Amino acid sequence: MSHSNGVASRQDVLRVRDLSTRFFTDEGQVNAVESVSFDVRDGEILGIVGESGSGKSVTALSLIDLVESPGRVTSGQLWYRNADLAEEFSDAADGEFVDLRALPTRVRRALRGPSFSMVFQDPMSSFNPSIPVGEQIAEAVEVQRRARANPRSTRSRTQGYGLGRYLLDSVVPTLDYTDDESHERAVELLEQVGIPDPEQRAREYPHQFSGGMLQRAMIAQALAGEPDVLIADEPTTALDVTIQAQILNLLRDIQEERDMSVLMITHDLGVIARMCDRVCVMYAGEVVERGTLEDVFDRPTHPYTEGLLGSIPDLDDPAPRLQPIEGNVPSLLDSEMGDRCYFADRCPKAMTECLQHPPEYEAEGSAEHRARCVLADHPYDEREALPPDYFEAGRPAETGPVDGGTDDDRPAEEAQQND
Amino acid sequence: MVSPRTIRNLKREWRNNWLAKIGVALVVAILLVAVFAPLLAPYNPRSQSLEDSRLPPMGFTETENSTSSQFVNGSVQVVSERTTVNATWDHPLGTNQLGQDMLSRVIYGARTSLLVGALGTLLAMLIGVPIGLVAGYYRGRVDDALMRFADVMLAFPSLVLAVALVGLWQQAVWRIPDPFVAAGLAPSMPPDIVLPGTVIVVVGLVTWVWFARVARGEALSVREEEYVKAARSLGASDAFVIRKHVLPNSVTPILVLGTIQVAAIILLESALSYLGFSGTSLSWGFDINQGRDYLATAWWIATVPGLAIVLAVIGINLVGDWLRDALDPGLGGEGGSGA
Amino acid sequence: MSYGRFLLKRVLQGILVVWGVITVVFLLRFITPGSPVDFVAPQDASQELRQRIAAELGLNEPLYVQYVDYLVGLLNGDMGYSYIFGQEASAIVFGKLPATVELAVAATVVAVVLSIPLGVVSATRRHQPADYGATTFSLLGISTPNFWLGIMLLLVLAVQIDLFPVGRRGIAFSTAFWMLFEGNVSGMQTWLAHITLPALTLGTYFTALITRLTRSGMLDELGKSYVQAARAKGIPETLVRYRHALRNTLIPVITVVGLQLGTLIGGAVITEQVFNWPGLGQQVISAVNNRDWPVLQGSLIVIGTGFVLVNIVVDSLYAYLDPRVIE
Repeated sequence: MSHSNGVASRQDVLRVRDLSTRFFTDEGQVNAVESVSFDVRDGEILGIVGESGSGKSVTALSLIDLVESPGRVTSGQLWYRNADLAEEFSDAADGEFVDLRALPTRVRRALRGPSFSMVFQDPMSSFNPSIPVGEQIAEAVEVQRRARANPRSTRSRTQGYGLGRYLLDSVVPTLDYTDDESHERAVELLEQVGIPDPEQRAREYPHQFSGGMLQRAMIAQALAGEPDVLIADEPTTALDVTIQAQILNLLRDIQEERDMSVLMITHDLGVIARMCDRVCVMYAGEVVERGTLEDVFDRPTHPYTEGLLGSIPDLDDPAPRLQPIEGNVPSLLDSEMGDRCYFADRCPKAMTECLQHPPEYEAEGSAEHRARCVLADHPYDEREALPPDYFEAGRPAETGPVDGGTDDDRPAEEAQQND
Repeated sequence: MVSPRTIRNLKREWRNNWLAKIGVALVVAILLVAVFAPLLAPYNPRSQSLEDSRLPPMGFTETENSTSSQFVNGSVQVVSERTTVNATWDHPLGTNQLGQDMLSRVIYGARTSLLVGALGTLLAMLIGVPIGLVAGYYRGRVDDALMRFADVMLAFPSLVLAVALVGLWQQAVWRIPDPFVAAGLAPSMPPDIVLPGTVIVVVGLVTWVWFARVARGEALSVREEEYVKAARSLGASDAFVIRKHVLPNSVTPILVLGTIQVAAIILLESALSYLGFSGTSLSWGFDINQGRDYLATAWWIATVPGLAIVLAVIGINLVGDWLRDALDPGLGGEGGSGA
Repeated sequence: MSYGRFLLKRVLQGILVVWGVITVVFLLRFITPGSPVDFVAPQDASQELRQRIAAELGLNEPLYVQYVDYLVGLLNGDMGYSYIFGQEASAIVFGKLPATVELAVAATVVAVVLSIPLGVVSATRRHQPADYGATTFSLLGISTPNFWLGIMLLLVLAVQIDLFPVGRRGIAFSTAFWMLFEGNVSGMQTWLAHITLPALTLGTYFTALITRLTRSGMLDELGKSYVQAARAKGIPETLVRYRHALRNTLIPVITVVGLQLGTLIGGAVITEQVFNWPGLGQQVISAVNNRDWPVLQGSLIVIGTGFVLVNIVVDSLYAYLDPRVIE
């Protein structure tokens, strides 16, 4: 991991502090992201790893303000380093950093593209099926060009584009939102991400692309605004294994070339091992362990991280599998979460004190290694261990007495609701 | 055919959906009215009483200008009189130009509408579903031929074709003795339920195409399922596969379409009777047609039966929406996933 | 497949369907009780006279000869002779056609102009007063028989407050249009005054239907990942809504509208009856009542062909908006 040297000395570009995102559903409040803190540094790849439902995707969406109703970012700060904004919004600023959550919506929106952009999991469903790919990329270019022409006005970004203009566009195909210059730039971007014959491909529709090619196109689209931070949400999950490596290499090359920061969200430890400088492990909406790649992989402190790594024979194995951890994905329903460590019911080393929610402890390793587990503070004490059937007996601490008979089908139902 | 999962979805959609509750309440109310019409109607809907003609509904008064010749001081004078006609509780919804009680006519009209709606939909299903299943299951030539024929049928607006067929064919009227009257429970009511047979047959003939289209779509997708392929490879006969696999899978969308079609056929029947092609005068559309000529003097004759149609159709459409949302048969485009 | 080939295929299919329409209309006479002679011959006509009339109408020929004759006649623009009117049926049918087309087009314009913004607003302001208003309106709109709505509009706007004329087509659109060229707006005013109520009556169902479809389609599309991806790349919300979501919403909406076109023409028949609008619909009804076969058959064929033509246009539009269907 040669490129990880010297990362510690780089500056933060984004500091996430106590970020919480909740969904207010009919079944109750779901704490999808709970008090999450981490930093993203200049020119690094930060990995967020966790099972599905651990809140990693919602964390990403919270960063760029794309959480949809009934979800809402309920608390926390997102400190983004941007001297211009810090000067303009001095109330929300701390030095060079400005709290994104305190900015007006229109300003935050304007940051999508030039500051943050995102590569999604499934390229087929992330492109509009009825617009040529090149046109969609050109659109992203055009938006940024118009914004640069007139920085602080939303009007200039829209240029009065409304229903009337849309109807006119539909009737007169030559009237279009994008112009030739943006199209040329789109072709250029397609070329940069390694798409052969970009002129021709730009005119084609998403369904004419293969999955891998389309994911390249989406990366091109994400680069259109020259972002500071690129968020890649499971960028290879929907692709064939053979294509995955190509896309990862592309992302790495682009990141190095442009020296931008990448937030790599994945459930695949192989991807993390291969790509990232630093790692956050998420479980049940929380970051349970974070640190440099070496911290987390060589000295895992949280039993969950250990479990995840359990079956990996070798760090360089390209596709290590997630070790199935006994038990079920936890319910994120506020009413059912209780006050204990959320992993305690699946934890092989659960102790009585785990019935109290643990704070983040400093852990052995580099200065930034943290774990939300008492084991980071003191070693496992067998005398304190919870009996193995403690949580099967009806979970007395949280939900009160539950009939033994209903206990079996309960987690299955919860999993369905939270899916 | 109706799985526990379906029931659970129906229940879940029911809990927070007050529109579904309104819809079911309306449909149940109208069903009860239609079934117990002879017991609920205050008058025989056909009996006329000219002195009670054109009484306004409760809450309204109507002034009429009438002229009469009078013998005053030895000479004949034409006197113009303004008389006020008050509504009475005897006829809460007023009376028509023949003095027939509007409430009774609306109650009896529910019978005609619902019977035509239900029987017409049933007939359309019986024609359309087998055709669609066969077309979708066998594909190829059979499918092409049947679907081109369906295209031809679709090219005729159902109302236009229905007008032509009902108008050209003889009006067949089926009479069924009314059980309540036969049992002596409502001696003054019409002794027979009059079913406009031609209308029922024709609405079935002009609407089956929709069922064929939906059944075909289901058959096309079900035949690609692995378990159907497996059944076929094990030598199951086509008839068996259609009956055991394809038909049960098509039940949900056909049920939803059927609900919506009942509403559509009620509208179609009322249009036919409005145009004078009904087999019975106890029909909401027929009464609206009558009222058309009295708009200036007795607005309620056309208004009241129209409101009845709107309520019935809203009720059925709401139930249809509920079923569609709960069962999600994919009739309204492909479903999208949320955040 | 190229766009041109797609169009060609679609047109050929359309011709096939029109041929089917003609065949069904032709056969209609043979599944109807009574002979056409009954409606042409006088009541007391002798058997001999009836025979002569039948021969003149070609009724004695074998079925296939009559069929071929009818097809050949249609190809030459001959729909037969209407003894009721003493005129060529085609002259009557095509004479009535413009009034119906005017009405249908006006209603479609009303529907499209009102429904799409209504559906978009309803979807983007979900669970707000505007949404409740729009959904209530659309539920009422699809549940109200249009002839009754027409009568109610007449009752309130024409009879009670005398805002609009009670019916009848005041002036043909073409006439009004030429008057406009001569600087005379009164023709257009008359045309508008007369067509407003019928167009509203006929357009309401469609407005309601398209509003519903647009709303549910928009909600569907707005929940899809490409919309989120569009937002993530910094596209302003108006563009996301109109250029992305609405575009994809309208694709299925267009198909349904094409399929429902029959409802529009059927609605025109009854709307014409309510407003005394002298169009094809009224003509169909009187032709049915008079057993005026040439006019009835001609009208049905024109209506069916119109439906097929409009659907070809709709499908081409669909293929233009969504190139995937061409393959």
